Formats: sequence, C-alpha cells, structure tokens
Amino acid sequence: MPEIMRPRPSDSVDSDPVTVRVQDARIGLAALIADAEEARRQREEGTATDGGSAVCAWNHFENIPTFYNWNNRPR
Amino acid sequence: MTWSGMRGIASTPTYVVMQPTTLCNLDCTYCYLPHRNADRRMPVPVARAVATAVEPWARTGRFSVVWHGGEPLAAGRDHLAALIAPFGERVEHHVQTNATLIDDAWCEFFAEHRVRVSVSVDGPRERNGDRVTRGHRPAYDRIRRGIEALRRHDIPFSALCVVGRPHPGLATELYDYFLELGCDVLGINVEELEGVNRRTNRHPAADVTAFWAELVAAWRRAPRIHLREIEWSLRYAGAVLAGVADEVLPRQLDPIPTVAYDGSVVLLSPELAGFSDARYGDFTSGNVLTAPLGEILDRAAETPWIAEFLDGVEECRSSCPYFGFCGGAHAANRYFEHGRFDATETDHCRNSKIRLLEGVLDHARDHEATAV
Repeated sequence: MPEIMRPRPSDSVDSDPVTVRVQDARIGLAALIADAEEARRQREEGTATDGGSAVCAWNHFENIPTFYNWNNRPR
Repeated sequence: MTWSGMRGIASTPTYVVMQPTTLCNLDCTYCYLPHRNADRRMPVPVARAVATAVEPWARTGRFSVVWHGGEPLAAGRDHLAALIAPFGERVEHHVQTNATLIDDAWCEFFAEHRVRVSVSVDGPRERNGDRVTRGHRPAYDRIRRGIEALRRHDIPFSALCVVGRPHPGLATELYDYFLELGCDVLGINVEELEGVNRRTNRHPAADVTAFWAELVAAWRRAPRIHLREIEWSLRYAGAVLAGVADEVLPRQLDPIPTVAYDGSVVLLSPELAGFSDARYGDFTSGNVLTAPLGEILDRAAETPWIAEFLDGVEECRSSCPYFGFCGGAHAANRYFEHGRFDATETDHCRNSKIRLLEGVLDHARDHEATAV
C-alpha cells in the first residue's frame, strides 16, 4: 500500500488511516516487535544506570520522552 | 482522535546543546552551519551560566549537555575541559564529532570526563564524497583513523550517517558497513534542505520507502546495532497495536536550548542558530550572560517565531494523520523549506518520518510469513 497521499484529520483512532495501516500489518509487526525486544535483550539495553555503552547515550534521550518526540535530534 | 501530546513548550529541558566553537576543520558540502570557517570560541562564563541554570534540573532527573559545533573537538582539549568544569557530577556529557581529530589523547579525555561519543560518518569511503577537508580533500581516512582510536581504547560510540539520496540497494550496504565499524547505536539522517545547504531533499516516494524497508530487513538479519529510526517506529507501532498510541508523544515539546558560542540561546532547532530573517530577527530568545536560562525558557512563547511555530504544531495536529508518530514538523525544516513556521508538511517529514513508517510497515506486511 502506498503512503497516505492525502492526509486528513481523523475523528477516532479507528478512522485514522495511519492507525488502520498499522493494524493491517499487525501480524508482521508482532513478529518484528518481538525480534526487536529480543535484540534489545541481547544488547543488554534498557537500564538507565548503564554507563558502559554508547547505547545509553541515545537511550538516555529515548528514555527521556522529550527527545523521543523528534522535535529535534542529533544531526 | 485528537492527539493530546506536544501541547506547548516544557519549562524544563532534558538537555542543552552547547557550541564550544563555531569552527569546523571540515567543509562538508551538505553542512547547514554558517560561520564554520571562523573560530569563535565560547567563553567559560557562558558555560558557567548554563551550569548554574541546569544544576537543579540535573538534581531531579537525568540531564545532558551535548557538545556540538562546528566541530566541538576543534575547541581543543584544554578549552573543552574548562567549559565542562563548571557542570556538576550529575550532568552527562555527549559530543557529536566528525572524528577526524580523535587520537589517544582525546580518548583519554573522553574517559576522564566520561564524555559519550557519537561520530558522523556516511558509510563506506565512496559514500563520504561530501565529507571533505577545508582543502577539499576526502576526509574519510582521517575519520576512520579517529574511529580506530576509539576502538583501540574500547570507547563505545554511536554513529550518525547522512544519506543524500535514499534508494533501494543502499540500505543493506550502509547497515553492513556500520556492523563492521562497530558502533553501538546508529541514526540515519536523510539530508535536509537547511541552513546554508540549499540542495534539494525531494526524492521519489517509492525510493525512500523502499530504502527504509530494506534497512529494516538488513537490521533484522543482525540486530546488533540500536538503530534509532527502527526503535522509534516500532515503539509507535507497538503502542498502536496496544491501543495506547496517544501515550507515545510527550505532553509538551522540549525547548532544546542551543547555547551558541556567545551565550545566545536559540530554542527548539539548533539549526537556526547563526541565522537572521527580516521578519523573525536572529531567532534568539535571550542570552545566558544577561538572563538566567530558566527565565529565557519561561518566556519562550514570547519569541515571535516560536509563537508561529506553536500554531504550526497545532496545524500539523489537525491536518496530518502521522502526527501521533511525528509530533509535528521540526521548526528548522518548516522555516528553511517554506519560509514560515506555521507551514506543515516538509520534505523532511516525508523522507524521515512518513516514508520511514511506511517502509517499516511495508517490511512487516511483506514478512508475515516469519510471524509465529
């Protein structure tokens, strides 16, 4: 399916075209999300006290919601 | 649904971007920074003023200083150490560097000051044609030498990769390169039309979407790297599937203060620092040498361009179905692409958010067979 070329506001989650698109891909996404969770576990990510890895540099930001929000990021 | 996040600007930032010098020893063709051939160094009183302001913020939560540039290492170790010194123990320090100046002494500096390192490199040698010295010679060998020093000292590092033209066939090559490079974290920045870089960033939609989908496939084969764009996309997709999509965006925008070498403060988009416009002035919201940073943040919405930007965020909220994933177009992209802050969709949105999510979803759709 192509990207949504005519964005429009939505009245509910159910009618939000992006949400619908995500839900349509739920089977493949579930597997992908599971892979990502396992990969994070293998990389030993996720602890705020982890000081030995560069991962925490950006996880640090990701753990702070305001960096995750994308209103900017390192370039 | 009305997305409830990203309403207004938070009064407390989670990090501050600092410009220890305007100078960069490279002259990359896509760079957005003005004044990068001038060595205007941040005086220590600027750092001291920022350190005083952030001290209470660091006491109540994690707080970071990102030393950005110019090329921050061009400030020299002694000066950077003097700028770091006023900050308390709880403040975390990060540096975004082109790596060309990194040697054993810098590695010892990073370890001593517990500075977390992110390097800028665009993939294999032939993908680094835009990264050149001031003499217009390829910078790649110097970049690699710096990264080798990090590896020699077992200093973990992140990497940022600029992609000028996303297209099918490129993503696997890039990901394999960064696997070999040994970075822990990777961010992909599709080149932006921004600042003094006026090259177009308009690309065929199918090419960009295919690039991201291919990147997911490449990552999935060996997910040893924390790949920023994939993590972000899956966090959103997972929240949608769990019925909590509206919890993904933060409640308010982070002000992301950028403190320029002279103490002037530009909020929300570091890329605006150093520019001026007849309508918006110089984009600054104050100077830490004449007002506390906290006061500057409290008055953020009084800066005319920021008030217009907040209108733009609301326009994104009401018009774009990707808002729950994105949170609104970045200020600098709106300005440099549209000349205004209340314009909405940008080519940066298309390249780095919309088509990213679409690429991830395409991959998921096409790989259902691997689902249990």
